[in-house]
Amino acid sequence: MNNYDYRLNKEPPQIMHIDLNSAFASAEQQAWPALRGRPMGVTNRLSKECCVIAASYEAKALGIKVGVRRTEAMALCPDFIMLETDPSKYTWMYQNLIKIMQDYSPNIKMKSIDEGIIDFHGLAPTLKGRSLEDIGYEIKQRVYQAVGKWMRINVGIGPNRFLAKTAAGLHKPDGLDVISHKNLIEVYESLKLEDLAGIAGGYGSRLRAHGISTPLEFLAADDGLLRKQVFRSINGLYWHERLRGYEMDDQPTNLGMVGRQWVVKKPSDNDDYLRSCMHFLVETTGMKLRYRNVEARGVCVWVEFSAGGGWRDKRMHRSTCYTNEDIWERVSRLFDHRPKHMVVRTMGLYLYELTPSSRSQLGLFEDVAKADYLTKAVDEINDFYGAFTVFSADTLVGKRNVRQKIPFGGTEYFELLLKRA
Amino acid sequence: MDPTIEINERVDVVTVFRRQGDISSLCMPCKMRWRGQEIALTELTLRHPTVQGKRMIHVFHVSDGTNGYRLEFDAERLSWTLIAMIAERP
Repeated sequence: MNNYDYRLNKEPPQIMHIDLNSAFASAEQQAWPALRGRPMGVTNRLSKECCVIAASYEAKALGIKVGVRRTEAMALCPDFIMLETDPSKYTWMYQNLIKIMQDYSPNIKMKSIDEGIIDFHGLAPTLKGRSLEDIGYEIKQRVYQAVGKWMRINVGIGPNRFLAKTAAGLHKPDGLDVISHKNLIEVYESLKLEDLAGIAGGYGSRLRAHGISTPLEFLAADDGLLRKQVFRSINGLYWHERLRGYEMDDQPTNLGMVGRQWVVKKPSDNDDYLRSCMHFLVETTGMKLRYRNVEARGVCVWVEFSAGGGWRDKRMHRSTCYTNEDIWERVSRLFDHRPKHMVVRTMGLYLYELTPSSRSQLGLFEDVAKADYLTKAVDEINDFYGAFTVFSADTLVGKRNVRQKIPFGGTEYFELLLKRA
Repeated sequence: MDPTIEINERVDVVTVFRRQGDISSLCMPCKMRWRGQEIALTELTLRHPTVQGKRMIHVFHVSDGTNGYRLEFDAERLSWTLIAMIAERP
Protein backbone atom coordinates (compact mmCIF):
# COMPACT_ATOMS: atom_id res chain seq x y z
CA MET A 1 0.00 0.00 0.00
CA ASN A 2 1.41 3.44 -0.84
CA ASN A 3 0.91 6.69 1.03
CA TYR A 4 -1.99 7.62 -1.18
CA ASP A 5 -3.91 4.47 -0.27
CA TYR A 6 -3.63 5.24 3.45
CA ARG A 7 -5.41 8.58 2.91
CA LEU A 8 -2.85 10.42 5.04
CA ASN A 9 -3.34 14.05 6.07
CA LYS A 10 -1.09 15.98 3.68
CA GLU A 11 -1.43 19.29 5.47
CA PRO A 12 1.98 20.74 6.49
CA PRO A 13 2.71 19.93 10.15
CA GLN A 14 1.53 22.85 12.30
CA ILE A 15 1.27 21.39 15.79
CA MET A 16 4.30 21.56 18.08
CA HIS A 17 4.57 19.40 21.19
CA ILE A 18 7.05 20.54 23.84
CA ASP A 19 8.08 18.17 26.58
CA LEU A 20 10.51 18.90 29.42
CA ASN A 21 12.21 15.55 29.98
CA SER A 22 12.45 14.28 33.55
CA ALA A 23 11.34 17.80 34.39
CA PHE A 24 11.35 17.73 38.19
CA ALA A 25 14.57 15.72 38.44
CA SER A 26 16.30 17.96 35.89
CA ALA A 27 15.13 21.08 37.77
CA GLU A 28 16.68 19.71 40.98
CA GLN A 29 19.90 18.87 39.16
CA GLN A 30 19.91 22.37 37.74
CA ALA A 31 19.49 23.85 41.22
CA TRP A 32 21.95 21.52 42.98
CA PRO A 33 25.18 21.00 40.96
CA ALA A 34 26.21 18.18 43.32
CA LEU A 35 23.36 16.06 41.94
CA ARG A 36 24.27 16.47 38.28
CA GLY A 37 25.24 13.30 36.48
CA ARG A 38 24.02 11.17 39.38
CA PRO A 39 21.10 8.78 39.71
CA MET A 40 18.44 10.70 41.63
CA GLY A 41 14.72 11.17 41.82
CA VAL A 42 12.02 13.15 43.55
CA THR A 43 9.03 12.07 45.56
CA ASN A 44 6.13 13.89 47.18
CA ARG A 45 7.01 12.90 50.71
CA LEU A 46 10.07 10.97 51.79
CA SER A 47 9.27 7.73 53.52
CA LYS A 48 10.60 4.20 53.40
CA GLU A 49 8.06 3.05 50.83
CA CYS A 50 7.63 6.27 48.85
CA CYS A 51 7.60 6.16 45.05
CA VAL A 52 9.76 7.94 42.51
CA ILE A 53 7.58 10.51 40.72
CA ALA A 54 10.42 11.74 38.48
CA ALA A 55 13.78 10.13 37.85
CA SER A 56 16.94 11.60 36.34
CA TYR A 57 18.37 10.16 33.13
CA GLU A 58 21.16 8.55 35.11
CA ALA A 59 18.56 6.78 37.26
CA LYS A 60 16.49 5.75 34.25
CA ALA A 61 19.59 4.18 32.72
CA LEU A 62 19.77 1.93 35.79
CA GLY A 63 16.14 0.90 35.43
CA ILE A 64 14.77 3.30 38.06
CA LYS A 65 11.65 4.73 36.50
CA VAL A 66 8.56 6.61 37.64
CA GLY A 67 6.56 4.54 40.13
CA VAL A 68 9.52 2.52 41.45
CA ARG A 69 9.54 2.35 45.25
CA ARG A 70 12.44 3.81 47.15
CA THR A 71 13.48 0.43 48.54
CA GLU A 72 13.58 -1.07 45.03
CA ALA A 73 15.54 1.93 43.76
CA MET A 74 18.07 1.57 46.59
CA ALA A 75 18.43 -2.13 45.77
CA LEU A 76 19.20 -1.26 42.15
CA CYS A 77 21.53 1.57 43.11
CA PRO A 78 22.66 1.99 46.73
CA ASP A 79 23.80 5.56 45.95
CA PHE A 80 20.38 6.57 44.66
CA ILE A 81 19.41 10.04 45.91
CA MET A 82 15.83 10.98 46.65
CA LEU A 83 14.61 14.52 47.28
CA GLU A 84 11.20 15.83 48.23
CA THR A 85 9.36 17.82 45.57
CA ASP A 86 9.58 21.59 45.59
CA PRO A 87 6.24 22.78 44.14
CA SER A 88 7.23 26.46 43.88
CA LYS A 89 10.25 25.57 41.72
CA TYR A 90 8.17 23.51 39.30
CA THR A 91 5.32 25.99 39.05
CA TRP A 92 7.85 28.72 38.25
CA MET A 93 9.32 26.46 35.56
CA TYR A 94 5.79 25.86 34.25
CA GLN A 95 5.09 29.61 34.14
CA ASN A 96 8.32 30.20 32.22
CA LEU A 97 7.40 27.55 29.69
CA ILE A 98 3.94 29.07 29.22
CA LYS A 99 5.38 32.57 28.76
CA ILE A 100 7.76 31.34 26.07
CA MET A 101 5.06 29.35 24.28
CA GLN A 102 2.63 32.29 24.31
CA ASP A 103 5.18 34.38 22.40
CA TYR A 104 4.60 32.19 19.37
CA SER A 105 0.86 31.58 19.33
CA PRO A 106 -2.26 32.55 21.26
CA ASN A 107 -3.42 28.98 20.82
CA ILE A 108 -1.45 26.95 23.34
CA LYS A 109 -2.59 24.13 25.59
CA MET A 110 -0.69 22.75 28.56
CA LYS A 111 -1.14 19.00 28.79
CA SER A 112 0.54 18.77 32.17
CA ILE A 113 3.03 20.66 34.31
CA ASP A 114 5.90 19.77 31.96
CA GLU A 115 4.41 19.46 28.50
CA GLY A 116 2.35 21.61 26.23
CA ILE A 117 1.17 22.15 22.67
CA ILE A 118 1.46 25.14 20.36
CA ASP A 119 -0.99 25.30 17.49
CA PHE A 120 0.41 27.31 14.57
CA HIS A 121 -2.68 27.15 12.38
CA GLY A 122 -3.37 30.52 10.79
CA LEU A 123 -0.09 32.00 11.96
CA ALA A 124 1.96 31.72 8.74
CA PRO A 125 2.12 35.54 8.22
CA THR A 126 3.59 36.08 11.70
CA LEU A 127 6.25 33.41 11.19
CA LYS A 128 7.76 35.42 8.29
CA GLY A 129 8.91 32.37 6.45
CA ARG A 130 10.58 30.71 9.43
CA SER A 131 10.18 26.97 9.67
CA LEU A 132 8.68 25.34 12.75
CA GLU A 133 11.96 23.44 13.21
CA ASP A 134 13.79 26.75 13.48
CA ILE A 135 11.24 27.95 16.04
CA GLY A 136 11.54 24.66 17.93
CA TYR A 137 15.31 25.13 18.31
CA GLU A 138 14.74 28.71 19.42
CA ILE A 139 12.25 27.59 22.09
CA LYS A 140 14.81 25.09 23.39
CA GLN A 141 17.39 27.85 23.67
CA ARG A 142 14.96 30.12 25.46
CA VAL A 143 14.10 27.44 28.01
CA TYR A 144 17.84 26.88 28.65
CA GLN A 145 18.24 30.61 29.22
CA ALA A 146 15.18 30.98 31.43
CA VAL A 147 15.55 27.86 33.56
CA GLY A 148 19.03 26.51 33.03
CA LYS A 149 21.35 24.53 30.79
CA TRP A 150 20.66 21.29 32.60
CA MET A 151 17.08 21.17 31.32
CA ARG A 152 16.39 18.76 28.48
CA ILE A 153 13.59 19.58 26.07
CA ASN A 154 12.04 17.39 23.43
CA VAL A 155 10.18 19.04 20.61
CA GLY A 156 7.91 17.22 18.19
CA ILE A 157 6.16 18.69 15.17
CA GLY A 158 3.29 17.00 13.39
CA PRO A 159 0.00 17.54 11.59
CA ASN A 160 -2.00 16.62 14.72
CA ARG A 161 -1.42 16.42 18.46
CA PHE A 162 -0.90 12.68 18.44
CA LEU A 163 1.85 12.75 15.81
CA ALA A 164 3.48 15.81 17.38
CA LYS A 165 3.69 13.92 20.70
CA THR A 166 4.98 10.83 18.90
CA ALA A 167 7.65 12.98 17.22
CA ALA A 168 8.66 14.44 20.57
CA GLY A 169 9.32 10.94 21.88
CA LEU A 170 11.51 9.76 19.00
CA HIS A 171 14.87 11.00 20.28
CA LYS A 172 14.91 11.46 24.03
CA PRO A 173 16.47 13.39 25.58
CA ASP A 174 16.77 16.72 23.83
CA GLY A 175 15.51 15.73 20.37
CA LEU A 176 13.59 17.64 17.75
CA ASP A 177 11.69 15.67 15.14
CA VAL A 178 9.06 16.30 12.52
CA ILE A 179 6.48 13.80 11.35
CA SER A 180 4.57 14.55 8.16
CA HIS A 181 2.82 12.44 5.54
CA LYS A 182 6.22 12.12 3.85
CA ASN A 183 7.93 10.16 6.63
CA LEU A 184 4.95 8.79 8.56
CA ILE A 185 5.29 5.25 7.21
CA GLU A 186 9.03 5.07 8.05
CA VAL A 187 8.35 6.35 11.56
CA TYR A 188 5.64 3.73 12.14
CA GLU A 189 8.00 1.06 10.82
CA SER A 190 10.53 2.01 13.48
CA LEU A 191 8.07 1.88 16.39
CA LYS A 192 6.40 -0.81 18.47
CA LEU A 193 2.68 -0.76 19.17
CA GLU A 194 3.13 0.33 22.79
CA ASP A 195 5.38 3.21 21.69
CA LEU A 196 2.26 4.97 20.42
CA ALA A 197 0.89 7.46 22.95
CA GLY A 198 -2.38 6.12 24.34
CA ILE A 199 -1.69 2.48 23.50
CA ALA A 200 -0.69 0.89 26.78
CA GLY A 201 -0.89 -2.77 27.77
CA GLY A 202 -4.71 -3.04 27.63
CA TYR A 203 -5.22 -1.67 24.13
CA GLY A 204 -2.05 -3.41 22.98
CA SER A 205 -3.43 -6.84 23.90
CA ARG A 206 -6.79 -6.00 22.38
CA LEU A 207 -5.17 -5.02 19.09
CA ARG A 208 -2.98 -8.13 19.04
CA ALA A 209 -6.05 -10.30 19.64
CA HIS A 210 -7.30 -8.99 16.30
CA GLY A 211 -4.05 -9.64 14.48
CA ILE A 212 -2.68 -6.10 14.77
CA SER A 213 0.78 -6.21 16.27
CA THR A 214 2.66 -3.28 14.69
CA PRO A 215 1.84 0.41 14.17
CA LEU A 216 1.87 -0.20 10.42
CA GLU A 217 -0.74 -2.95 10.73
CA PHE A 218 -2.72 -0.59 12.98
CA LEU A 219 -2.56 2.04 10.23
CA ALA A 220 -3.66 -0.44 7.61
CA ALA A 221 -6.61 -1.70 9.70
CA ASP A 222 -10.05 -0.97 8.36
CA ASP A 223 -12.07 1.62 10.32
CA GLY A 224 -15.00 -0.80 10.57
CA LEU A 225 -12.78 -3.41 12.21
CA LEU A 226 -11.40 -0.86 14.70
CA ARG A 227 -14.81 0.60 15.51
CA LYS A 228 -16.93 -2.56 15.65
CA GLN A 229 -14.50 -5.20 16.87
CA VAL A 230 -11.33 -3.83 18.42
CA PHE A 231 -12.50 -0.77 20.35
CA ARG A 232 -16.25 -1.41 20.06
CA SER A 233 -16.89 2.30 20.18
CA ILE A 234 -16.39 5.53 18.28
CA ASN A 235 -12.81 5.37 19.61
CA GLY A 236 -12.01 2.97 16.78
CA LEU A 237 -12.83 5.66 14.22
CA TYR A 238 -10.90 8.24 16.21
CA TRP A 239 -7.80 6.01 16.16
CA HIS A 240 -8.24 5.38 12.44
CA GLU A 241 -8.14 9.12 11.75
CA ARG A 242 -5.57 10.02 14.42
CA LEU A 243 -3.00 7.60 12.97
CA ARG A 244 -3.37 9.34 9.61
CA GLY A 245 -2.62 12.76 11.04
CA TYR A 246 -6.15 14.13 11.36
CA GLU A 247 -6.92 16.04 14.57
CA MET A 248 -9.12 14.12 16.99
CA ASP A 249 -7.88 15.43 20.31
CA ASP A 250 -8.76 19.12 20.38
CA GLN A 251 -12.20 18.77 21.93
CA PRO A 252 -12.66 20.25 25.42
CA THR A 253 -13.56 17.71 28.07
CA ASN A 254 -16.27 18.22 30.63
CA LEU A 255 -15.38 18.52 34.27
CA GLY A 256 -16.74 15.35 35.86
CA MET A 257 -15.55 15.51 39.42
CA VAL A 258 -13.51 17.51 41.88
CA GLY A 259 -11.72 15.86 44.76
CA ARG A 260 -8.63 15.18 46.75
CA GLN A 261 -6.93 12.10 48.13
CA TRP A 262 -4.15 11.73 50.65
CA VAL A 263 -1.76 9.02 51.74
CA VAL A 264 -2.07 9.25 55.53
CA LYS A 265 1.21 10.54 56.96
CA LYS A 266 1.08 8.26 59.97
CA PRO A 267 -1.43 5.48 59.27
CA SER A 268 -3.82 5.56 62.18
CA ASP A 269 -7.26 4.65 63.52
CA ASN A 270 -7.41 7.77 65.69
CA ASP A 271 -10.76 9.36 64.92
CA ASP A 272 -9.80 12.92 65.87
CA TYR A 273 -6.69 12.81 63.67
CA LEU A 274 -8.47 11.28 60.69
CA ARG A 275 -11.49 13.61 60.96
CA SER A 276 -9.29 16.69 61.10
CA CYS A 277 -7.31 15.52 58.07
CA MET A 278 -10.49 14.70 56.16
CA HIS A 279 -11.87 18.12 57.07
CA PHE A 280 -8.71 19.69 55.67
CA LEU A 281 -9.17 17.72 52.43
CA VAL A 282 -12.72 19.07 52.29
CA GLU A 283 -11.45 22.66 52.58
CA THR A 284 -8.98 22.18 49.71
CA THR A 285 -11.68 20.47 47.62
CA GLY A 286 -14.04 23.37 48.36
CA MET A 287 -11.40 25.78 47.09
CA LYS A 288 -11.12 23.79 43.86
CA LEU A 289 -14.90 23.65 43.47
CA ARG A 290 -15.29 27.40 43.79
CA TYR A 291 -12.21 28.00 41.62
CA ARG A 292 -14.01 26.12 38.83
CA ASN A 293 -17.21 28.01 39.68
CA VAL A 294 -19.32 24.87 39.97
CA GLU A 295 -21.58 23.30 42.59
CA ALA A 296 -21.92 19.61 43.34
CA ARG A 297 -24.80 17.32 44.26
CA GLY A 298 -22.95 14.07 44.70
CA VAL A 299 -20.47 13.32 47.49
CA CYS A 300 -18.22 10.25 47.73
CA VAL A 301 -15.86 9.41 50.59
CA TRP A 302 -13.43 6.50 50.61
CA VAL A 303 -10.66 5.02 52.73
CA GLU A 304 -8.13 2.21 52.31
CA PHE A 305 -6.95 0.22 55.30
CA SER A 306 -3.39 -0.77 56.16
CA ALA A 307 -4.57 -4.34 56.68
CA GLY A 308 -5.89 -4.39 53.10
CA GLY A 309 -9.27 -3.66 51.64
CA GLY A 310 -11.18 -0.45 51.96
CA TRP A 311 -14.52 1.25 52.37
CA ARG A 312 -16.44 3.77 50.34
CA ASP A 313 -19.81 5.44 50.49
CA LYS A 314 -21.48 7.99 48.30
CA ARG A 315 -24.68 9.92 48.26
CA MET A 316 -26.56 12.07 45.81
CA HIS A 317 -28.37 15.04 47.31
CA ARG A 318 -31.26 17.04 45.94
CA SER A 319 -29.60 20.36 46.63
CA THR A 320 -26.07 21.36 45.64
CA CYS A 321 -23.19 22.13 47.97
CA TYR A 322 -20.77 25.01 47.48
CA THR A 323 -19.43 26.25 50.81
CA ASN A 324 -16.86 24.36 52.91
CA GLU A 325 -19.45 24.07 55.64
CA ASP A 326 -21.99 22.41 53.32
CA ILE A 327 -19.41 19.99 51.93
CA TRP A 328 -18.06 19.04 55.36
CA GLU A 329 -21.57 18.43 56.71
CA ARG A 330 -22.23 15.92 53.92
CA VAL A 331 -18.78 14.37 53.95
CA SER A 332 -18.59 13.98 57.73
CA ARG A 333 -21.98 12.26 57.78
CA LEU A 334 -20.61 9.61 55.42
CA PHE A 335 -17.12 9.50 56.94
CA ASP A 336 -18.49 8.81 60.44
CA HIS A 337 -20.03 5.59 59.17
CA ARG A 338 -16.72 4.05 58.10
CA PRO A 339 -15.60 0.91 59.96
CA LYS A 340 -13.94 2.20 63.11
CA HIS A 341 -10.80 0.75 64.75
CA MET A 342 -9.26 0.07 61.35
CA VAL A 343 -5.92 1.70 60.59
CA VAL A 344 -6.38 4.00 57.59
CA ARG A 345 -3.61 4.18 55.00
CA THR A 346 -5.16 6.36 52.30
CA MET A 347 -8.31 8.42 52.21
CA GLY A 348 -10.06 10.81 49.93
CA LEU A 349 -13.26 12.33 48.69
CA TYR A 350 -14.71 13.57 45.46
CA LEU A 351 -17.70 15.65 44.50
CA TYR A 352 -19.63 14.78 41.36
CA GLU A 353 -22.75 15.77 39.43
CA LEU A 354 -21.30 19.20 38.93
CA THR A 355 -23.33 22.11 37.61
CA PRO A 356 -22.29 25.72 36.90
CA SER A 357 -22.62 27.81 40.02
CA SER A 358 -25.59 30.16 40.27
CA ARG A 359 -24.42 31.72 43.54
CA SER A 360 -23.97 35.13 41.97
CA GLN A 361 -27.75 35.37 41.54
CA LEU A 362 -29.90 36.83 44.29
CA GLY A 363 -30.93 34.12 46.73
CA LEU A 364 -34.41 33.68 48.12
CA PHE A 365 -33.26 32.78 51.61
CA GLU A 366 -31.23 35.21 53.66
CA ASP A 367 -29.36 32.57 55.69
CA VAL A 368 -28.13 30.84 52.52
CA ALA A 369 -26.98 34.15 51.09
CA LYS A 370 -25.12 34.96 54.32
CA ALA A 371 -23.23 31.65 54.20
CA ASP A 372 -22.28 32.38 50.60
CA TYR A 373 -21.08 35.88 51.44
CA LEU A 374 -19.02 34.54 54.32
CA THR A 375 -17.41 31.92 52.08
CA LYS A 376 -16.67 34.57 49.45
CA ALA A 377 -15.12 36.87 52.07
CA VAL A 378 -12.93 34.05 53.47
CA ASP A 379 -11.83 33.09 49.94
CA GLU A 380 -10.87 36.70 49.22
CA ILE A 381 -8.86 36.99 52.44
CA ASN A 382 -7.07 33.72 51.64
CA ASP A 383 -6.43 34.87 48.07
CA PHE A 384 -4.73 37.98 49.31
CA TYR A 385 -2.91 36.81 52.41
CA GLY A 386 -2.23 33.22 51.35
CA ALA A 387 -4.32 30.08 51.54
CA PHE A 388 -5.44 28.99 54.99
CA THR A 389 -4.93 32.39 56.58
CA VAL A 390 -8.53 31.88 57.73
CA PHE A 391 -9.56 28.27 58.16
CA SER A 392 -11.74 26.06 60.28
CA ALA A 393 -10.14 25.35 63.69
CA ASP A 394 -11.16 21.72 63.29
CA THR A 395 -8.65 21.35 60.42
CA LEU A 396 -5.64 22.42 62.49
CA VAL A 397 -4.20 18.92 62.82
CA GLY A 398 -4.88 18.23 59.13
CA LYS A 399 -3.20 21.47 58.10
CA ARG A 400 -0.03 20.38 59.91
CA ASN A 401 0.01 16.98 58.29
CA VAL A 402 -1.41 17.16 54.77
CA ARG A 403 1.06 18.51 52.24
CA GLN A 404 0.40 19.97 48.85
CA LYS A 405 1.43 17.50 46.19
CA ILE A 406 2.44 18.08 42.63
CA PRO A 407 -0.48 17.50 40.30
CA PHE A 408 0.14 15.32 37.28
CA GLY A 409 -2.06 15.33 34.24
CA GLY A 410 -4.37 18.31 34.34
CA THR A 411 -3.13 21.81 34.88
CA GLU A 412 -6.51 23.27 35.81
CA TYR A 413 -5.53 24.16 39.34
CA PHE A 414 -2.08 25.66 38.90
CA GLU A 415 -3.17 29.22 39.51
CA LEU A 416 -4.82 28.03 42.70
CA LEU A 417 -1.69 26.07 43.56
CA LEU A 418 0.45 29.14 43.06
CA LYS A 419 -1.56 31.02 45.65
CA ARG A 420 -1.01 28.16 48.04
CA ALA A 421 2.69 27.65 47.33
CA MET B 1 19.14 8.92 50.87
CA ASP B 2 18.33 12.62 50.99
CA PRO B 3 21.61 14.56 51.09
CA THR B 4 19.95 17.89 51.94
CA ILE B 5 21.25 19.43 55.15
CA GLU B 6 18.61 21.74 56.57
CA ILE B 7 20.01 24.89 58.14
CA ASN B 8 17.40 27.68 58.39
CA GLU B 9 19.75 30.34 59.72
CA ARG B 10 19.90 34.05 59.00
CA VAL B 11 23.13 34.95 57.16
CA ASP B 12 24.99 38.05 55.94
CA VAL B 13 25.06 38.24 52.16
CA VAL B 14 26.87 40.57 49.77
CA THR B 15 24.78 40.94 46.63
CA VAL B 16 25.46 42.52 43.25
CA PHE B 17 22.56 44.11 41.39
CA ARG B 18 23.48 44.44 37.74
CA ARG B 19 22.35 47.31 35.57
CA GLN B 20 21.28 45.08 32.70
CA GLY B 21 20.97 41.47 31.68
CA ASP B 22 18.26 38.87 31.74
CA ILE B 23 16.20 38.45 34.88
CA SER B 24 18.11 35.37 35.97
CA SER B 25 21.38 37.29 36.23
CA LEU B 26 20.28 40.75 37.42
CA CYS B 27 20.73 39.95 41.08
CA MET B 28 23.62 37.75 42.22
CA PRO B 29 24.56 36.88 45.80
CA CYS B 30 28.36 36.91 45.71
CA LYS B 31 29.50 36.29 49.25
CA MET B 32 27.93 34.86 52.38
CA ARG B 33 29.01 34.85 56.00
CA TRP B 34 27.74 31.81 57.84
CA ARG B 35 28.84 30.78 61.34
CA GLY B 36 31.80 33.15 61.10
CA GLN B 37 33.00 31.71 57.81
CA GLU B 38 33.08 33.69 54.58
CA ILE B 39 31.96 31.75 51.54
CA ALA B 40 32.49 33.09 48.01
CA LEU B 41 29.53 32.19 45.80
CA THR B 42 30.64 31.61 42.25
CA GLU B 43 27.55 30.36 40.42
CA LEU B 44 23.85 31.11 40.49
CA THR B 45 22.31 27.83 39.37
CA LEU B 46 18.61 28.66 39.71
CA ARG B 47 16.53 31.53 40.94
CA HIS B 48 12.79 31.55 41.34
CA PRO B 49 10.21 33.54 43.25
CA THR B 50 7.64 32.15 45.62
CA VAL B 51 5.20 33.61 48.10
CA GLN B 52 4.45 33.09 51.75
CA GLY B 53 1.05 34.70 52.17
CA LYS B 54 1.53 38.19 50.75
CA ARG B 55 5.30 38.12 51.33
CA MET B 56 7.43 37.71 48.24
CA ILE B 57 10.38 35.38 48.72
CA HIS B 58 13.17 35.01 46.15
CA VAL B 59 14.86 31.64 46.23
CA PHE B 60 18.48 31.56 45.08
CA HIS B 61 20.28 28.29 44.49
CA VAL B 62 23.99 29.12 44.49
CA SER B 63 27.25 27.24 44.50
CA ASP B 64 30.73 27.96 45.85
CA GLY B 65 32.21 25.57 43.31
CA THR B 66 32.05 22.71 45.79
CA ASN B 67 28.81 22.85 47.73
CA GLY B 68 25.31 23.98 46.76
CA TYR B 69 23.25 26.35 48.93
CA ARG B 70 19.62 27.40 48.97
CA LEU B 71 19.31 31.01 50.05
CA GLU B 72 16.02 32.83 50.47
CA PHE B 73 15.59 36.58 50.33
CA ASP B 74 12.48 37.88 52.06
CA ALA B 75 11.52 40.97 50.07
CA GLU B 76 9.35 42.36 52.86
CA ARG B 77 11.70 41.85 55.79
CA LEU B 78 14.82 42.39 53.65
CA SER B 79 16.53 39.39 55.19
CA TRP B 80 18.60 36.52 53.86
CA THR B 81 18.17 33.00 55.23
CA LEU B 82 20.34 30.00 54.43
CA ILE B 83 17.70 27.30 54.15
CA ALA B 84 19.71 24.24 53.15
CA MET B 85 22.87 22.95 51.53
CA ILE B 86 24.06 19.86 49.67
CA ALA B 87 27.72 18.97 49.81
CA GLU B 88 29.53 18.11 46.60
CA ARG B 89 29.68 14.36 47.20
CA PRO B 90 26.65 13.56 49.32
